[in-house]
Amino acid sequence: MSAGLKLVLLGAQALTVVSAILVAFHPNILYASVSLLATFAGVAVLFVYAGADFLAGVQVVVYVGGVTILILFAVMLTQWLYEMRLRDVGVKLLMPCILGVLFFSSLFKVLGGLAAWVLARPPEGLEKFAALPKTEPIGEALLGAYLLPFEAVTVLLLGALVGAVWLARPK
Amino acid sequence: METGFITIFWYLVVAGLTVPLMLLVGALLRPRQRNVGRSGAAYECGEDPVGSPWVKFNIRFYLVAIVFIIFDVEIAALFPVATLYKKAVESGSAGLVFAEIFAFVGLLLLGLMYCWVRGDLDWVKGIAQARPVK
Amino acid sequence: MGANSAAFAQSLQTWIGAGPLWLWALVSAAAVIFLLALPFGGLATYAERKISADFQDRIGPNRVGPWGLFQIFADLVKMLAKEDFIPKGADRFLFNLAPALVVIGACGAFAVLPLGRQLIGADVNIGILYLFAITTVIAPGLLLGSWGSQNKWSLLGGMRAAAQIVSYEIPVALSILPVVLISGTLQVGLIVDQQGWSWASSAAGTPHFWNLFHNPFCFLSAFLLFVGGLAETNRIPFDLPEAESELVSGFNTEFSGIRFGLYALGEFCDVFVMSAMVTALYLGGWQIPFITLEQFLFPIPSGLIALIQFTVFLLKTLFLVFVVMWLRWTLPRLRVDQLMGLCWKGLVPLALFCVFGTAVWMWVFGGRSIAQLIAGFGG
Repeated sequence: MSAGLKLVLLGAQALTVVSAILVAFHPNILYASVSLLATFAGVAVLFVYAGADFLAGVQVVVYVGGVTILILFAVMLTQWLYEMRLRDVGVKLLMPCILGVLFFSSLFKVLGGLAAWVLARPPEGLEKFAALPKTEPIGEALLGAYLLPFEAVTVLLLGALVGAVWLARPK
Repeated sequence: METGFITIFWYLVVAGLTVPLMLLVGALLRPRQRNVGRSGAAYECGEDPVGSPWVKFNIRFYLVAIVFIIFDVEIAALFPVATLYKKAVESGSAGLVFAEIFAFVGLLLLGLMYCWVRGDLDWVKGIAQARPVK
Repeated sequence: MGANSAAFAQSLQTWIGAGPLWLWALVSAAAVIFLLALPFGGLATYAERKISADFQDRIGPNRVGPWGLFQIFADLVKMLAKEDFIPKGADRFLFNLAPALVVIGACGAFAVLPLGRQLIGADVNIGILYLFAITTVIAPGLLLGSWGSQNKWSLLGGMRAAAQIVSYEIPVALSILPVVLISGTLQVGLIVDQQGWSWASSAAGTPHFWNLFHNPFCFLSAFLLFVGGLAETNRIPFDLPEAESELVSGFNTEFSGIRFGLYALGEFCDVFVMSAMVTALYLGGWQIPFITLEQFLFPIPSGLIALIQFTVFLLKTLFLVFVVMWLRWTLPRLRVDQLMGLCWKGLVPLALFCVFGTAVWMWVFGGRSIAQLIAGFGG
């Protein structure tokens, strides 16, 4: 990869991580939601670098265009939510930090193993794989090996739809 | 990664820089003026704003966003299958793919019908019952 | 196609002969945004006023310059020089972020517009999905801008705008699906190619190979896409979020001067992008009826071909933009419950019906269009 591409990748990684930290720790919940938008956008760029072009598009459509709006609606419509302040301060922050570090290190170990497995492959093969468009292979997988999950997803979505409208019904 | 994404990156950068650029040009161009004696309050056709700028909670906005996400995920899953449909038609297995698409979308269409019939898609719920006939 | 899809940058590089590809990509991006998108935004404000005047039997701007054309520059200077007024308690960061998101969403979509065979900025494999995705970035922009105004009427307008845009994205996405089913690809360049010369066995480049006339479900789908595009750009009859007579100016009440100018620019560019989407998907993009430019009577230089294709594309898109402006003075505004009802109870079932119909048509007739079927009967 050229230096310019590496720089952009670094920028996207930095954007994702910094925004994620802001989401968790920013006192103003609306700014935290905006950081969430930035995190989603950063993840979309990372998907492009990994060769998952279709997933990057879906990430922007569903997350940046949808989930962000959902969360912003929730924050904007609920006054007590907006006025909430971070209550885990001082000593109360210790336990969440410890649990966070434990969880992160176990995730790091698992993903590190996976990354080592991927990187053991020849780099030219990886670059060729990353350059291929992924829409058709995903389609073939959805119609082939993953047909049952594909149809099961619609049942899940149906459940979500009915659940949401039931919760929203006036009593 | 396709080289087209480099172009897309530049488009987004140029578009993103346009706004600060215009604001900068404006800042350089406009005359300096001190904010003398105006309140800077929100605009309400000349009246003073009453109360805090909070809108009463309307769940219908939230519901629209949730239903949108559900259908959006469905369409996102449908796009890659749709790109294979033409090939499936040429190779003769179109009926099978159509059945799979139909099952996928049909179930959610049933959900939409259910919501429609139960009145959950009405923006103003129960308006027919709420107001007496005038 | 494949790894090298930066078509415009590629052709610029071959034309000039030197320089790295990424530099030409930047040049192509700057050229299209500063020479097409922004001027179109400016001209659209003028055209809207002139066309509105025509429909209302008035004259419109005619004082500043020939036929009032310099009105654009006058408005631009006025907007730039206006005071940067931000209401007390309003959020400066959001006030700056919101127009940026709208402009990024609207102008970023120009990257995949099929301006010509060699003029597509980025003919990526996910072309039409990228176009759809980047225009959805506008919705959080409007919402954040309206929240940052600290004005309850702005907030209400912004929430309605976001709810409207988000609802109508479903019919738009569903109306893109028939074209994807027919073309078997998301790549915009390929979709336009298939509506003309290189894919038809005979009678190349004819209008009946446009996707509009492929089958009756596609015909309906094109109109659904257009209506959905109208709703996404907050144009009449769907302009309740910026309703002039109801919410002052809706979500952009507190925006003045150049910030408002940027919102308006974003909205007009979005109109262009939506019209271009319909043109590319259903009206054959740059294809000229009855003519195959590459196989014409005499060889035409490729630069001229690119120019002609660009002109054709622009004409088709501008016609649709004209129709959008025409509708402004033809139809009354929809109420918010009518708007939502039309989307979820009208357009979504219709669009789904079109998707199923196209799939069934392709299954029954083996993917051939009406034109190909008639030709098949003929001989």
